[in-house]
Amino acid sequence: MRIAVGFKVTPDFEALRAADWARVAAAADAEGRAQATRYVRRVFGVFDEAALELALRLRDARADDGLPTGLAAFTVGGPDASPFLHTLQALGFDCLRVDPGGGPASAADTAEAAGALDFAPAATAALVAACARQLGADILLLGERGGPGGSGTVPFLAAEALGRPCVTCVTAIEPAGADRLRVSFRADDGPVRALTAPPCVLAVGNAVVSMLRVPTLKERLAVRDVPVTQFTAADLGVDVGVALDRAPAVRSLEPVDRSRAGIVVTGATAAEQARALYEGHLRARLEAL
Amino acid sequence: MTAAAPLRVVAVLDATGSAAERHGRALGAFLRDGLDAGDIAPGVVTHVFCPPGADPGAASATAPTLDVRLVRVPAHRQDVATAALAALQTGDGADLYVFPSGPSGTELGARLAARTGGSALTGVLSAAVGDGVLTCRRAAYAGYLEEESALSRRPWCLVLDAGWDEARAEPPEEHVVVEAAHLTPEDPGAPPLLEIKPLEAPPTGDLETARFLVVAGRGAGSRRGVERAAAAAARMGAAFAVTRPVVMNAWAAPDRQVGVSGTRAAPAVCVVAGASGAPAFVWGIERAGFIAAVDTDEHAPIAGEADVFVAGDALDVLEELADLVDRHSR
Repeated sequence: MRIAVGFKVTPDFEALRAADWARVAAAADAEGRAQATRYVRRVFGVFDEAALELALRLRDARADDGLPTGLAAFTVGGPDASPFLHTLQALGFDCLRVDPGGGPASAADTAEAAGALDFAPAATAALVAACARQLGADILLLGERGGPGGSGTVPFLAAEALGRPCVTCVTAIEPAGADRLRVSFRADDGPVRALTAPPCVLAVGNAVVSMLRVPTLKERLAVRDVPVTQFTAADLGVDVGVALDRAPAVRSLEPVDRSRAGIVVTGATAAEQARALYEGHLRARLEAL
Repeated sequence: MTAAAPLRVVAVLDATGSAAERHGRALGAFLRDGLDAGDIAPGVVTHVFCPPGADPGAASATAPTLDVRLVRVPAHRQDVATAALAALQTGDGADLYVFPSGPSGTELGARLAARTGGSALTGVLSAAVGDGVLTCRRAAYAGYLEEESALSRRPWCLVLDAGWDEARAEPPEEHVVVEAAHLTPEDPGAPPLLEIKPLEAPPTGDLETARFLVVAGRGAGSRRGVERAAAAAARMGAAFAVTRPVVMNAWAAPDRQVGVSGTRAAPAVCVVAGASGAPAFVWGIERAGFIAAVDTDEHAPIAGEADVFVAGDALDVLEELADLVDRHSR
């Protein structure tokens, strides 16, 4: 069984200040938005990170049953993904990076194309599906959603392009014999567990396992000279320009005002504060539930 | 100059599961309050997917429109439902499809747009038609910003923001139901999922449906502090959640997390203990009817993001509060 995990490297949104968000909102285009967040540290998309760790745990569980599993990881984006790819190499993934722009000779094109993909899930999905084909993936594992657009449609659109079923909001994956998997996921009406078989697309949501393990120094040194395979969109037969032309056009972005009354409740002790809060604001509301 | 043709609008409701009532009311509320479509063709139709043996009246009871087209589809067969939708689009040629929030609506909307050359948008807060373009508002950047986007390629497939699940519109008392029997395949092929079994909700309460929610943040200070907060929440009969820093410190399981990388809750009452109020977290509770926050830092952003704020020790106040709630509920 060969599993390919697609991931996205994003700015850590929690590290941006209100002034930064105002700059992002005021930017005229994708390049301007990218500039506004350029100094912020990069992180794995949170659901992508969970997908990567679940893939490792699935490999380990299948190994306990004597079943081989091939792991690959890929991302669509620029060189800022390199440290993440090297970490994944150390953890045992075969790694692939797809440059959505003009290749290594055109860093500006890469940044612009990667930024434009933020709000173009169909274009992203076309590249993701091409990667899955390139890597011969039986299971395509993705985060449920992520990045600036956060549409949640990329797994379904990639599955559509591949002609595969897709299960989203996956919270756990376990082996079930040589060729099947038992997946837990959140359906519209609650949590569900079911059997599925490759080829399929699984999109990881709010999983109990959410953090990627850290490779040892020995593991890092073992792969320090192993290059990451790189392709351009054209190498994979994907015309990003056509897909981008079909994407919804972002006309404006605005900061969201979440302020409320902020009435201050006072009291000399915790008991007094709790009583003032309860009697003055909570008691009637709780009794009405 | 020729007047634009009236817009043909279709709502899509998956009635193979128990979310149909919630989704039907959400669709109705959006069609009433969220869509500014100008001239809509008479007779907005709801395509309802229901199990093969379902009673037509019961299956269509929560549909938001008078006219219903019933398609028989087994539960969890999105492949069959998508094929039926695509076939209906070939025949009817609707301009706009509206799907409720959630995995089913997202899959159907995305796949229908892909198959028909249309465009899909999720998390839709509102939409308006003008000059042949559909302009929509939705959250972007994990809720930090709000986006306005324009869709031109029809059919427009809109998946609603989960907030519409809270906005209610009563369905018509009666429906005109037409069975689309020709779209139910005699042999739907091998199902993508087997041995489907519902799981029990987490013992700490389902965060999405909780009416009373307590959230502990980094200010809880330790795993022991989080456990104290959880115990206080349990005594008050509240569901218990945490912020991302608590999960990152391994003080609580990730499935307890609210915020952009966790669950988006919509409780009637929410008590936040020891959280600073980062936007990514507040996004997860902003649909709460009432927010009370307790934190030692009176200058923390949460002070202005809550309806009421207590500058004090979060755990001590929470435990005193639990005593009061416990005493008054006996």
